[in-house]
Amino acid sequence: MSSPWKDIWRGILPENPTFRLVLGMCPTLAVTTMVKNGLGMGLSTMAVLICSNVVISALRKLIPEQVRIPVYIVVIATFVTIVEMLLKAFQPDLYRDLGIFIPLIVVNCIILGRAEAFAGKNTIFRSFLDGLGMGLGFTLALLLLSAIREIIGSGTFLAGTGAEVQVFGSGFEPFAVFAAPAGAFVVLGLLIALSNVAFKRFNIG
Amino acid sequence: MRELLRLVLTLAVVGIVSAAVLAGVNNITAPVIAENERQETLQALKDFFPDVSSTEVKEEEDGTYTLVYDGSGKLLGVMATVQFKGYGGWVTYNMAVSSEGKITAIRVLDCSSETPGVGDVIAKPEFLERLMGKGVGDAIQAGVDVDTVSGATISTTAMINSVRLVVDTVAANYLGMEEEGFDIAAVPDGTYQGTGQGYKGDIVVEVTVEGGKITDIKVISQEETDTYFATAYAVIPQRIIDEQNLEVDVKTGATGSSAGIVEAVRDALQKALESGGEEE
Repeated sequence: MSSPWKDIWRGILPENPTFRLVLGMCPTLAVTTMVKNGLGMGLSTMAVLICSNVVISALRKLIPEQVRIPVYIVVIATFVTIVEMLLKAFQPDLYRDLGIFIPLIVVNCIILGRAEAFAGKNTIFRSFLDGLGMGLGFTLALLLLSAIREIIGSGTFLAGTGAEVQVFGSGFEPFAVFAAPAGAFVVLGLLIALSNVAFKRFNIG
Repeated sequence: MRELLRLVLTLAVVGIVSAAVLAGVNNITAPVIAENERQETLQALKDFFPDVSSTEVKEEEDGTYTLVYDGSGKLLGVMATVQFKGYGGWVTYNMAVSSEGKITAIRVLDCSSETPGVGDVIAKPEFLERLMGKGVGDAIQAGVDVDTVSGATISTTAMINSVRLVVDTVAANYLGMEEEGFDIAAVPDGTYQGTGQGYKGDIVVEVTVEGGKITDIKVISQEETDTYFATAYAVIPQRIIDEQNLEVDVKTGATGSSAGIVEAVRDALQKALESGGEEE
């Protein structure tokens, strides 16, 4: 596998932020009640992650060691605020659903984690790829989690997107606990367990 | 020293650049956001009052009140866009009140501060329909006239209280109707008994009226949990006597018992009015 692909691939499976690094649990658990919200959160985080990775990598030689964390936070917060303003202006419905979790992207440890562990040490291009891969990995994880929770917890799939599907027909009584926070923990726990088994079995990472 | 200066300068430059970028983006998005909100209000107006032809906007302490007129200039009703403090923060909603003073529609615009799956029930039809059709002259008291949702008591109580305030404001300021409060002054002097439904069972009170004022409220019997009842009993009778009004705040930590006491007092006064003051 050539090196650019490796940079992307790493975030998707071997070092998947949700299942392998177990970072950014707050938004993971909180917004994954519906596929639409999970996807929105994943893409917003990916946008911030790519932008902050690129900018931090570009500035890595200019930033003095002692103040690097505050600089990272300011850069991340700036991009999060931009995403928030853009969503509010152009995707008001999604903004209403994600609500307070958008500002919380600032403290999503995936972003600060990648800034510290990768972008602060590597070239702009590789940091971009790393942000893309980690963002994709996070988005895919949220998609999986929110699909399971939406189907079992609400009996719908893709609700609120215009392509809504009633999975079990009208007689189905949804397991509301899966839409509640407790259900998020249960599903996430099972998925992490499952991924641990799979990773061992197929020798990934 | 030079090292320190470098650190400070770096942070300052990063901060300034960040602020400049944000100001630029805000310049683009702020008008779009304002336009979105305006469209949303307009859409709500059309949904609530399909015959809307002209409007007049009034600002009140708790929000915006839009008077809606039809083509001939007749007042169709009032749409209120107000905020109240819910469980986690501010909740915004639209409410339409017809020219007869009845609530015809409520739409919650933002309840993202309420607990998802719990407090956000205030935006759902199964809760909101409890308020539909109520209006001027109806008692709208949380837990008494309109049921709260258990598990989401704070959010639903706050919503109901806000709705009552809006109805009062609309009635008094725009429809020229006064809320039919209980006219305590019309109750003849005497001591009256009344019964109300508490949390566990009936609460029986004895109310003393002197010179058109409630001077004393005694509980004759009750079946409540002792500690909770003590909390309610310590606060509610005093509030009623202080305010000379039955629309007192029943949030005491013992809402069921508190609401029961209020109901019992109302019952006693009602009986007194009907019997013309003949003591039982």
